[in-house]
Amino acid sequence: MHLFLMIGLVAFSILAVLNRDLLKSAICLAVASVFLALIFFQMNAVYAGVFEVSVVAGLITVLFITAIALTRGDQPVVESKRHLFIFPLFFLILIVLDILVMKKLLGRIPAIAGSETGTFGEVLWNQRTFDLVGQIGVIFAGVLGVLALFRQGDTPHKGSTPQEGTHE
Amino acid sequence: MNNLWILNMGFAALLIGTGIYCLLTMKNVVKLLIGLEIIAKGVTLALVASGYARNNLLLAQSLAITVIVVDVAVIATALAIIININRHTKSLDVGKLTRLKG
Repeated sequence: MHLFLMIGLVAFSILAVLNRDLLKSAICLAVASVFLALIFFQMNAVYAGVFEVSVVAGLITVLFITAIALTRGDQPVVESKRHLFIFPLFFLILIVLDILVMKKLLGRIPAIAGSETGTFGEVLWNQRTFDLVGQIGVIFAGVLGVLALFRQGDTPHKGSTPQEGTHE
Repeated sequence: MNNLWILNMGFAALLIGTGIYCLLTMKNVVKLLIGLEIIAKGVTLALVASGYARNNLLLAQSLAITVIVVDVAVIATALAIIININRHTKSLDVGKLTRLKG
């Protein structure tokens, strides 16, 4: 079951990359997110799974579809057909490297003493307080960035002359 | 070190590799963002899988949520930039973004 979910995740991610229609790519990405969330649920990572489904599969997909709808109808970007030949080769090399390197690489990582105590809320609020402050800052920065990018009405009109006295 | 962790990390590496391929080869700016999103998925999977394998799942989940929140902010801002680029150039091709070329 776990392997099936993993294969589904990678397959839909590849479809999202190789699909020529942007709308289909965005939907493939959302399906990949659902697969990832199911993997998280299977690993008992319930909170990460809920975030993955609601934020990544939901919100980000809506943002992508909105952006695609707003930019559709203009000159389409033609991607090269070489990807259909190059990507399988690249992916095959990646799998071979993965098999050869990953086990040795992970074997070098020392085992850290685990076994956490407490609840998720305690870990999030007590241990990662600084992360939370950073997250709030990032959210506000994102909101202000989007507002600044869509700001209208303060662009100078064409042919307007500079105000008197500014060059004196 | 268990086999499930190696499997999870292997698939995370495949996801990150696919995302990097997308970033390096695609011309459409929306596709580039999709590549970035796939890399973020790989990183989140690696975090949660490591937490699960090392019995630090709560900490790993809090880090994964941080990654997801940062990712959403980046994607929202980048899509706003893309819409503005499209208004000016009438295209989504990164090759046509040459106004700042020196």
